[in-house]
Amino acid sequence: MSDLSSPTPADALDGASTVEVRTSASAALIPTIRAVASDLAARADFDLDAISDLRMAVDEACATLVDVASPTSWLHCTFLVRPERIEVHAQVQTKHADAVVSTDTFGWRVLQTLADEVAVHHDPGRGDTSPTVEIRLDKRSGDVLR
Amino acid sequence: MGESVQPGPGMAGVSASEFLDTAISEPSPGTALLTVRGEIDTLTAPTFTAAADELLATPADTLVIDLTDVRFLASSGLAVLISAAHRAEERAVRLRLVVPTRAVRRPIEITGTGPLFDLHPDLASATGGRD
Repeated sequence: MSDLSSPTPADALDGASTVEVRTSASAALIPTIRAVASDLAARADFDLDAISDLRMAVDEACATLVDVASPTSWLHCTFLVRPERIEVHAQVQTKHADAVVSTDTFGWRVLQTLADEVAVHHDPGRGDTSPTVEIRLDKRSGDVLR
Repeated sequence: MGESVQPGPGMAGVSASEFLDTAISEPSPGTALLTVRGEIDTLTAPTFTAAADELLATPADTLVIDLTDVRFLASSGLAVLISAAHRAEERAVRLRLVVPTRAVRRPIEITGTGPLFDLHPDLASATGGRD
Protein backbone atom coordinates (compact mmCIF):
# COMPACT_ATOMS: atom_id res chain seq x y z
CA MET A 1 0.00 0.00 0.00
CA SER A 2 1.93 3.03 -1.18
CA ASP A 3 1.23 6.68 -0.55
CA LEU A 4 1.01 8.14 -4.02
CA SER A 5 1.97 11.57 -2.79
CA SER A 6 5.01 10.52 -0.75
CA PRO A 7 8.42 10.63 -2.38
CA THR A 8 10.13 7.29 -2.78
CA PRO A 9 13.91 6.95 -2.52
CA ALA A 10 14.04 6.78 -6.31
CA ASP A 11 12.60 10.30 -6.45
CA ALA A 12 15.48 11.78 -4.50
CA LEU A 13 17.81 11.84 -7.48
CA ASP A 14 19.62 14.85 -6.10
CA GLY A 15 21.35 12.57 -3.61
CA ALA A 16 19.10 13.08 -0.64
CA SER A 17 19.17 10.40 2.03
CA THR A 18 15.68 9.24 2.80
CA VAL A 19 14.40 8.07 6.15
CA GLU A 20 10.82 6.91 6.62
CA VAL A 21 9.15 6.44 9.97
CA ARG A 22 5.68 4.97 10.31
CA THR A 23 3.88 4.83 13.64
CA SER A 24 0.34 4.53 14.90
CA ALA A 25 -1.21 7.99 14.78
CA SER A 26 -0.83 8.47 18.51
CA ALA A 27 0.55 11.39 20.49
CA ALA A 28 2.51 8.90 22.62
CA LEU A 29 4.71 8.06 19.65
CA ILE A 30 5.49 11.60 18.52
CA PRO A 31 8.53 11.81 20.85
CA THR A 32 10.10 9.00 18.83
CA ILE A 33 9.59 10.93 15.61
CA ARG A 34 11.07 14.04 17.26
CA ALA A 35 14.11 11.99 18.20
CA VAL A 36 14.58 10.90 14.59
CA ALA A 37 14.31 14.50 13.39
CA SER A 38 16.89 15.69 15.95
CA ASP A 39 19.25 12.87 15.10
CA LEU A 40 19.12 13.51 11.37
CA ALA A 41 19.59 17.25 11.78
CA ALA A 42 22.55 16.77 14.14
CA ARG A 43 24.25 14.36 11.74
CA ALA A 44 23.61 16.77 8.86
CA ASP A 45 25.57 19.43 10.78
CA PHE A 46 22.61 21.67 11.41
CA ASP A 47 23.43 24.44 13.86
CA LEU A 48 21.98 23.99 17.33
CA ASP A 49 19.14 26.45 16.87
CA ALA A 50 18.15 24.83 13.56
CA ILE A 51 18.10 21.39 15.23
CA SER A 52 15.83 22.74 17.95
CA ASP A 53 13.59 24.42 15.38
CA LEU A 54 13.29 21.30 13.22
CA ARG A 55 12.48 19.13 16.22
CA MET A 56 9.76 21.52 17.33
CA ALA A 57 8.41 21.91 13.77
CA VAL A 58 8.20 18.15 13.29
CA ASP A 59 6.46 17.84 16.65
CA GLU A 60 3.96 20.53 15.67
CA ALA A 61 3.22 18.95 12.29
CA CYS A 62 2.77 15.49 13.82
CA ALA A 63 0.59 16.73 16.67
CA THR A 64 -1.60 18.63 14.20
CA LEU A 65 -2.03 15.53 12.05
CA VAL A 66 -2.66 13.13 14.92
CA ASP A 67 -5.46 15.44 15.95
CA VAL A 68 -7.37 14.82 12.69
CA ALA A 69 -6.26 11.24 12.04
CA SER A 70 -8.72 8.38 11.97
CA PRO A 71 -8.31 5.93 14.87
CA THR A 72 -6.71 3.25 12.71
CA SER A 73 -4.44 5.57 10.74
CA TRP A 74 -0.70 5.45 10.51
CA LEU A 75 1.39 8.59 10.99
CA HIS A 76 3.87 8.37 8.13
CA CYS A 77 6.89 10.69 8.15
CA THR A 78 9.48 10.89 5.42
CA PHE A 79 12.69 12.82 5.96
CA LEU A 80 14.70 13.86 2.90
CA VAL A 81 18.15 14.82 4.13
CA ARG A 82 19.95 17.11 1.73
CA PRO A 83 23.30 18.85 2.22
CA GLU A 84 21.89 22.07 3.62
CA ARG A 85 18.27 21.36 4.36
CA ILE A 86 15.89 18.69 5.47
CA GLU A 87 12.48 18.24 3.89
CA VAL A 88 9.80 16.49 5.92
CA HIS A 89 6.57 14.98 4.64
CA ALA A 90 4.14 13.86 7.35
CA GLN A 91 0.84 12.23 6.49
CA VAL A 92 -2.17 10.62 8.13
CA GLN A 93 -5.44 9.17 6.92
CA THR A 94 -8.62 10.84 8.04
CA LYS A 95 -12.07 9.33 8.43
CA HIS A 96 -13.80 11.92 6.32
CA ALA A 97 -12.61 14.15 3.51
CA ASP A 98 -13.86 17.16 5.44
CA ALA A 99 -11.46 16.64 8.36
CA VAL A 100 -9.26 19.67 7.78
CA VAL A 101 -6.19 21.15 9.38
CA SER A 102 -6.81 24.70 10.48
CA THR A 103 -4.09 27.15 9.54
CA ASP A 104 -5.59 29.80 11.77
CA THR A 105 -4.14 28.51 15.02
CA PHE A 106 -1.31 29.55 17.30
CA GLY A 107 0.37 26.20 16.63
CA TRP A 108 0.29 26.70 12.86
CA ARG A 109 1.77 30.19 13.17
CA VAL A 110 4.54 28.77 15.35
CA LEU A 111 5.16 26.12 12.68
CA GLN A 112 5.42 28.80 10.00
CA THR A 113 7.97 30.64 12.14
CA LEU A 114 10.06 27.55 12.82
CA ALA A 115 10.19 26.17 9.27
CA ASP A 116 11.52 27.87 6.18
CA GLU A 117 8.62 26.53 4.15
CA VAL A 118 5.45 24.76 5.21
CA ALA A 119 2.33 23.64 3.35
CA VAL A 120 -0.68 21.45 4.00
CA HIS A 121 -2.37 19.31 1.41
CA HIS A 122 -5.74 17.64 1.80
CA ASP A 123 -6.48 14.71 -0.50
CA PRO A 124 -10.13 13.62 -0.51
CA GLY A 125 -9.21 10.09 -1.56
CA ARG A 126 -10.88 8.19 -4.38
CA GLY A 127 -12.82 4.95 -4.56
CA ASP A 128 -11.54 2.77 -1.76
CA THR A 129 -8.57 4.97 -0.75
CA SER A 130 -8.97 6.98 2.43
CA PRO A 131 -8.78 10.73 2.50
CA THR A 132 -5.38 11.91 3.68
CA VAL A 133 -3.80 15.07 5.00
CA GLU A 134 -0.13 15.82 4.49
CA ILE A 135 2.08 18.53 5.93
CA ARG A 136 5.34 19.29 4.15
CA LEU A 137 8.00 21.43 5.72
CA ASP A 138 11.53 22.50 4.89
CA LYS A 139 14.27 23.57 7.27
CA ARG A 140 17.67 24.90 6.31
CA SER A 141 20.69 23.86 8.28
CA GLY A 142 21.62 27.32 9.52
CA ASP A 143 21.65 31.04 8.91
CA VAL A 144 25.13 31.22 7.44
CA LEU A 145 25.19 31.84 3.70
CA ARG A 146 27.46 29.34 2.03
CA MET B 1 9.26 16.46 44.96
CA GLY B 2 7.79 13.48 43.12
CA GLU B 3 9.75 10.91 41.18
CA SER B 4 9.03 10.45 37.47
CA VAL B 5 7.23 7.24 36.74
CA GLN B 6 9.27 5.26 34.25
CA PRO B 7 7.52 2.89 31.86
CA GLY B 8 7.86 -0.72 33.00
CA PRO B 9 7.99 -3.88 30.93
CA GLY B 10 4.22 -3.94 30.66
CA MET B 11 4.15 -0.59 28.92
CA ALA B 12 5.99 -1.33 25.71
CA GLY B 13 5.42 1.36 23.13
CA VAL B 14 4.69 4.08 25.70
CA SER B 15 7.29 6.82 25.81
CA ALA B 16 8.67 8.05 29.10
CA SER B 17 7.79 11.56 28.04
CA GLU B 18 4.16 10.73 28.71
CA PHE B 19 5.03 11.60 32.28
CA LEU B 20 5.76 15.11 33.42
CA ASP B 21 6.99 15.93 36.88
CA THR B 22 5.58 19.05 38.48
CA ALA B 23 5.90 20.35 42.02
CA ILE B 24 4.80 23.56 43.73
CA SER B 25 6.80 24.94 46.65
CA GLU B 26 7.29 28.14 48.61
CA PRO B 27 11.06 28.76 48.75
CA SER B 28 10.48 31.93 50.74
CA PRO B 29 7.41 33.76 52.07
CA GLY B 30 5.47 35.36 49.23
CA THR B 31 7.25 33.37 46.52
CA ALA B 32 5.58 30.45 44.77
CA LEU B 33 7.72 28.15 42.65
CA LEU B 34 6.56 25.61 40.08
CA THR B 35 9.33 23.16 39.17
CA VAL B 36 8.78 21.20 35.96
CA ARG B 37 10.79 18.24 34.69
CA GLY B 38 10.39 16.25 31.48
CA GLU B 39 8.95 17.08 28.10
CA ILE B 40 5.98 19.37 27.56
CA ASP B 41 4.07 18.28 24.47
CA THR B 42 0.54 17.33 23.42
CA LEU B 43 0.51 14.40 25.80
CA THR B 44 1.75 16.22 28.89
CA ALA B 45 0.29 19.70 28.24
CA PRO B 46 -2.81 18.99 30.38
CA THR B 47 -0.58 18.13 33.35
CA PHE B 48 1.40 21.32 32.80
CA THR B 49 -1.80 23.37 32.51
CA ALA B 50 -3.07 21.99 35.81
CA ALA B 51 0.22 22.80 37.53
CA ALA B 52 0.25 26.35 36.13
CA ASP B 53 -3.32 26.81 37.37
CA GLU B 54 -2.21 25.65 40.80
CA LEU B 55 0.68 28.13 40.78
CA LEU B 56 -1.59 31.01 39.81
CA ALA B 57 -4.07 30.05 42.51
CA THR B 58 -1.48 30.80 45.21
CA PRO B 59 -1.60 34.27 46.78
CA ALA B 60 2.14 34.80 46.22
CA ASP B 61 3.37 38.05 44.72
CA THR B 62 6.44 36.44 43.19
CA LEU B 63 5.64 33.65 40.74
CA VAL B 64 8.41 31.47 39.32
CA ILE B 65 8.36 28.54 36.90
CA ASP B 66 11.62 26.59 36.83
CA LEU B 67 12.04 25.01 33.40
CA THR B 68 15.67 23.99 33.92
CA ASP B 69 14.91 20.30 33.50
CA VAL B 70 12.41 20.64 30.68
CA ARG B 71 13.95 18.87 27.70
CA PHE B 72 11.34 19.86 25.14
CA LEU B 73 8.72 22.60 24.89
CA ALA B 74 5.98 22.24 22.28
CA SER B 75 3.75 25.09 21.10
CA SER B 76 1.04 23.77 23.44
CA GLY B 77 3.44 24.28 26.35
CA LEU B 78 4.38 27.74 25.16
CA ALA B 79 0.68 28.59 24.97
CA VAL B 80 0.30 27.63 28.65
CA LEU B 81 3.24 29.88 29.57
CA ILE B 82 1.78 32.80 27.62
CA SER B 83 -1.62 32.35 29.22
CA ALA B 84 -0.02 32.16 32.67
CA ALA B 85 1.94 35.35 32.01
CA HIS B 86 -1.25 37.19 31.07
CA ARG B 87 -3.06 35.92 34.16
CA ALA B 88 -0.16 36.99 36.37
CA GLU B 89 -0.25 40.45 34.79
CA GLU B 90 -3.90 40.73 35.84
CA ARG B 91 -2.63 40.98 39.40
CA ALA B 92 0.36 43.12 38.45
CA VAL B 93 2.84 40.27 38.78
CA ARG B 94 5.42 39.44 36.11
CA LEU B 95 5.85 35.71 35.68
CA ARG B 96 9.48 34.66 36.15
CA LEU B 97 10.88 31.77 34.14
CA VAL B 98 14.14 29.93 34.75
CA VAL B 99 15.27 29.06 31.22
CA PRO B 100 18.95 28.07 31.08
CA THR B 101 18.64 25.64 28.17
CA ARG B 102 18.18 26.07 24.44
CA ALA B 103 15.24 23.65 24.46
CA VAL B 104 13.12 26.28 26.22
CA ARG B 105 14.90 29.53 25.34
CA ARG B 106 14.80 28.95 21.59
CA PRO B 107 10.99 28.55 21.27
CA ILE B 108 10.54 31.71 23.36
CA GLU B 109 13.13 33.59 21.29
CA ILE B 110 11.91 32.55 17.87
CA THR B 111 8.27 33.37 18.66
CA GLY B 112 9.23 36.76 20.08
CA THR B 113 7.39 36.05 23.34
CA GLY B 114 10.36 36.87 25.61
CA PRO B 115 8.98 40.29 26.65
CA LEU B 116 5.98 38.63 28.30
CA PHE B 117 8.18 37.13 31.01
CA ASP B 118 11.08 37.88 33.33
CA LEU B 119 13.63 35.41 32.00
CA HIS B 120 16.36 34.13 34.32
CA PRO B 121 19.39 31.92 33.71
CA ASP B 122 19.15 30.17 37.06
CA LEU B 123 16.84 29.59 39.99
CA ALA B 124 18.79 31.77 42.41
CA SER B 125 18.37 34.89 40.31
CA ALA B 126 14.69 34.12 39.72
CA THR B 127 13.82 33.69 43.39
CA GLY B 128 16.16 36.32 44.83
CA GLY B 129 15.30 40.02 44.94
CA ARG B 130 11.94 41.69 44.72
CA ASP B 131 9.93 42.91 41.74
